[in-house]
Amino acid sequence: MQDDSILISRLKTKDEKALALLYDKYAPAIFGVILRLCKDEGIAQEVLQDTFMTIWEKPDAYDPEKGRFYTWSYRIAKNKVLNILRKPKKLIQTEDLSVYKNKEAIELSNDSELALKGSINKLEAHHKRAIELVYFNGLTHREAHKEMDVPLGTFKSYLRQALKKLKESYSIALVLMLILIEVMR
Amino acid sequence: MTDKTKIKETGLLEQYVLGELDAAQQLEIELLLKSDEELADYVLEIEKGFENLAIDNAITPPKVVKSNLLSEISNNTKVVSLSNENKSSNKWYLGIAASIAAFLLISTYFLYAELQNVKSDLEMVSNEKDMLMKDLNNMANNYDDLINWYDIISDPNAEQFILKGNDLSPEAKIVSYVNHEEKSVVINAELLPELDQNHDYQMWADVDGEMINMGLIPKSKGMIAMTYIDNAESLNITIEPLGGNDHPTVSRLISNVYL
Repeated sequence: MQDDSILISRLKTKDEKALALLYDKYAPAIFGVILRLCKDEGIAQEVLQDTFMTIWEKPDAYDPEKGRFYTWSYRIAKNKVLNILRKPKKLIQTEDLSVYKNKEAIELSNDSELALKGSINKLEAHHKRAIELVYFNGLTHREAHKEMDVPLGTFKSYLRQALKKLKESYSIALVLMLILIEVMR
Repeated sequence: MTDKTKIKETGLLEQYVLGELDAAQQLEIELLLKSDEELADYVLEIEKGFENLAIDNAITPPKVVKSNLLSEISNNTKVVSLSNENKSSNKWYLGIAASIAAFLLISTYFLYAELQNVKSDLEMVSNEKDMLMKDLNNMANNYDDLINWYDIISDPNAEQFILKGNDLSPEAKIVSYVNHEEKSVVINAELLPELDQNHDYQMWADVDGEMINMGLIPKSKGMIAMTYIDNAESLNITIEPLGGNDHPTVSRLISNVYL
């Protein structure tokens, strides 16, 4: 991630081009997550722009020692979406500030655009679901295990195993890609 | 090792990556990761896992979002740079204004100095003009006098008589013009020798043996009009005490001419 550290240091000197390059690199991934979180194109666009405004205005809040740039921007975006989604519901909900209390929202859209792609589909259904709930639906662990109707410990285990499988899957993909690149040379 | 496995099983690390933890828990994990490379690597793998998931499921946002974003940040920066430009252009204008002010100051001083020069020149010229006017007046007066004298002496009725000095004043010579029609006598006393301060020349007309005063001859000399005396037989000039005399001092008669 040598590229990122250079871009980020340029970002800290208010280099607009660095922001544009970081946007090109990360916006689609972030947009994919936040669109699935809110299922509203307008909100998702607004949040995406807002997220990069925050990145532009507070680049010093990012510490490369504490994690990847993507993770940092994902957290910013997720918080913004959840803040928007929670606002109108505050009137109804008093204690639990869960975003998707109603089943409707939790059901993943059948919309082909929003349907999950890639390695996640190779996972077993309950592993996929665990990931889906915390990552693409914005549920907390506590909300998610209730949603799946399994104990919290079990849910955590699902998530851990899911991530482990994904890692293996990505490693194989990476190896295959490297072999492919080698062959092409 | 078991501690680490326990930590992994708490799910805190996943929650950390997903941003579910509160500030205190987050700080705790951060401190832990700093001191434990294995756990840090483990977290890095979780991060990569979620990141890869996101990349797998990336959706290209509409181009308008990027253009809005870039125009918003460049607007913000432009506001700053614009105000800087204003400042610098203000400075630029101030510089120009200062230059103009300095130029005006210098040229005002220059013009003031020039004005003083012109004033003194004008004064000089005006003085010269006054002097020339005086000269001209004098000349005009002289000319009038000359014309007068010329008229008198060129008059056909004017008779010229020359009075030559006798032994008492051999250098003396007076030209007189007598006009009986106009009843005027004019003399040219230029060649009369100078007298001391206590005496004057006086002119007399002889009428039937009686000497009648025709007037003193002024010391300024030149052409002088004398009193015309009817029936004068001769013109006589004597040296008299200063201011003239009622009767001529015959012993000091220096010249006479018969008409």
